[in-house]
Amino acid sequence: MHTDLAPAPGSTTIEIALKIWRYDAVTGDKELKRYEVEAPDWVTLLDVLDIIKDKHDGTLAYRKSCRMMICGSCGMRMDGAAVLACKTRMYDIAKSGHVPVISAMGNLPVRKDLVVDMEPFWDKIRRMKPWLDPGYEEPPEKEWRVSQEKMNVIHKEALCIMCGCCVSECNSMESDPEFFGPAALAKGMRFVGDARDQANVTRLEDYNDEHGIWDCTRCYFCNERCPKGVDPRDAIAKLGAESIKEGIDHDMGAKHAKWFVTSAKTTGWLRETELVPKTQGIVEAIKQTKFAIGLLKRGKVPPPIPPHVAERVNESRRLYSLVKEQGRDGALGIVQGEHALGRIEFTEQAGVKTSDPEVQPGVEPPPAEG
Amino acid sequence: MKRVAYYKGCLASLSAKELDSSTQALAPKVGLDLVELETVTCCGAGDIHEAEPDYYLHLNARILAYAEAAGCDELLTVCNVCTLNLRQANWQLKNDDGLRERVSNNLERVGVPPYSGNVEVRHLLWEIAEGEGYELLKQSAHKGLKGLKIAPFYGCQILRPSKLLGFEDPDRPWSLERIIEACGGTAIDYPAKVKCCGFPIIQAREETALGELIQPIEQAKEAGADAIVTPCPLCHLSLDAWQSKLKAATGKDFAMPILHLSQLVGVAAGLEESELKFKRHVVPVTPVLEKLEV
Repeated sequence: MHTDLAPAPGSTTIEIALKIWRYDAVTGDKELKRYEVEAPDWVTLLDVLDIIKDKHDGTLAYRKSCRMMICGSCGMRMDGAAVLACKTRMYDIAKSGHVPVISAMGNLPVRKDLVVDMEPFWDKIRRMKPWLDPGYEEPPEKEWRVSQEKMNVIHKEALCIMCGCCVSECNSMESDPEFFGPAALAKGMRFVGDARDQANVTRLEDYNDEHGIWDCTRCYFCNERCPKGVDPRDAIAKLGAESIKEGIDHDMGAKHAKWFVTSAKTTGWLRETELVPKTQGIVEAIKQTKFAIGLLKRGKVPPPIPPHVAERVNESRRLYSLVKEQGRDGALGIVQGEHALGRIEFTEQAGVKTSDPEVQPGVEPPPAEG
Repeated sequence: MKRVAYYKGCLASLSAKELDSSTQALAPKVGLDLVELETVTCCGAGDIHEAEPDYYLHLNARILAYAEAAGCDELLTVCNVCTLNLRQANWQLKNDDGLRERVSNNLERVGVPPYSGNVEVRHLLWEIAEGEGYELLKQSAHKGLKGLKIAPFYGCQILRPSKLLGFEDPDRPWSLERIIEACGGTAIDYPAKVKCCGFPIIQAREETALGELIQPIEQAKEAGADAIVTPCPLCHLSLDAWQSKLKAATGKDFAMPILHLSQLVGVAAGLEESELKFKRHVVPVTPVLEKLEV
């Protein structure tokens, strides 16, 4: 199909230069090629690629579909940072004289030019069992209603378009390719946090895999790259909080996290020296003796006795009790500006019945009226 | 002098005392009057945020409340992780009146002053990379780094998520380079300077963490760096203390000295060893000091 990007009457054009990493997985040929095109001043990176393919070099390979930031097809790197090509306007870049380098996303095998093999990505998404498990077999006659407040918990996760931008720069996945990664774990949270799903405990046990929740290194590249504001790292933190709420705390990562809580409510400051045995267990900690002695010589292993106690630490203890009483445990405690979602709360005035029974996971809704 | 509440965090209080002593010695030279908070606790280091998020929020609100009660409108941090945890909590509290009211009420119930949301959290790096702090830094760094090649290592949580940090472009930061040059050093460029050191999972997933840790050290070495400088004591700990484990795992002995930001500027500003405390490092800093004839 020919893409006509001729400027509309009255609009202006700009000169855009970019370099593209061309690659062919079959031959292994790799080349950084420079392209210069004239384009309307409103073009996106995707528009520029279309112009190159139509008018300069038909062999260029890239994925696209919707052109409007919802299909998630055109994830690629610009100067090493994953972007959606259709969301990236070129005007400022071209005017600054910068010639950006375009390449395929990271952490996925490159097939040709800007096209990556998404299969490892989909495998991890499927691993999350990304469908609702309501806890009953037959589709009910009548639906359960879910309040806006309950959906707010997974509002961000539900925005994911599975483009792979978050995965592209995931530092943990670079080191451990089996790490489930930010997209899959955010998808997992989308179901764990869904009030209609009753498989949350089974899911959490599964996501507490060696390559799961606690393999995240908190580099925050995923939050930085996501073009839709999903904030996958926050979703992973929610999964951690939900796991601990459900008592799924066998992973060293969970034990590590819990020791900070214990420290804060006992001495106020981190009890550093006890962190290793509390995380890894005594046996593993003993294996680290030689390493620990090296650190001890340099004052890096502060003696646990006498403990470093914060003044008025009783306030910190009492805060803990108070917070637990208020019951905002697990993912509910992670604040992401949900109050802003209050304005879309359904109301009687908006013509929506609010008398319908609220969802109870695992329980079939009552039969339809009439 | 700018009066700021000083939050040193866990590491500078204990295993990285050299960060605290060098920061305290450097502060007056860059125009900072540090008001040390006596009653504060750990920020939770991202771990309490993940284990008990509502408690994390309250602990950080308590720190902010005591900074406010000390009459300070700025809380100075010297750690990336403290910076993100405090700024994240502060963002939540400032932007949600209902939430701030609930948390403030809870603080008052246990005897903590309420928090009205008027404190800014800023890292030492930002204080000396621009404005008056930078002008004073240029004056006090008179002893100079004599062209020493320094690899800046930012770490993650002073750059990302930029929505909460926002001091500089997270992909093209400039602050450390500017400070290195102002101190008479030469800033080395390398791709991993904005990546993760692996510290948050170094105990629970050591192998994954070491795969991250090796990148900045190896790249800095290849680029000819004499030392790496970092604004984060957690990055410092993994880069410095875990180098021996990299050696055991890969057979490569990088012997790369790692400096805290306050030590790098401190050396250039002529601080004493009693303040810099280089003897507390696991990888010897001696080759750097010899080049500088300190």
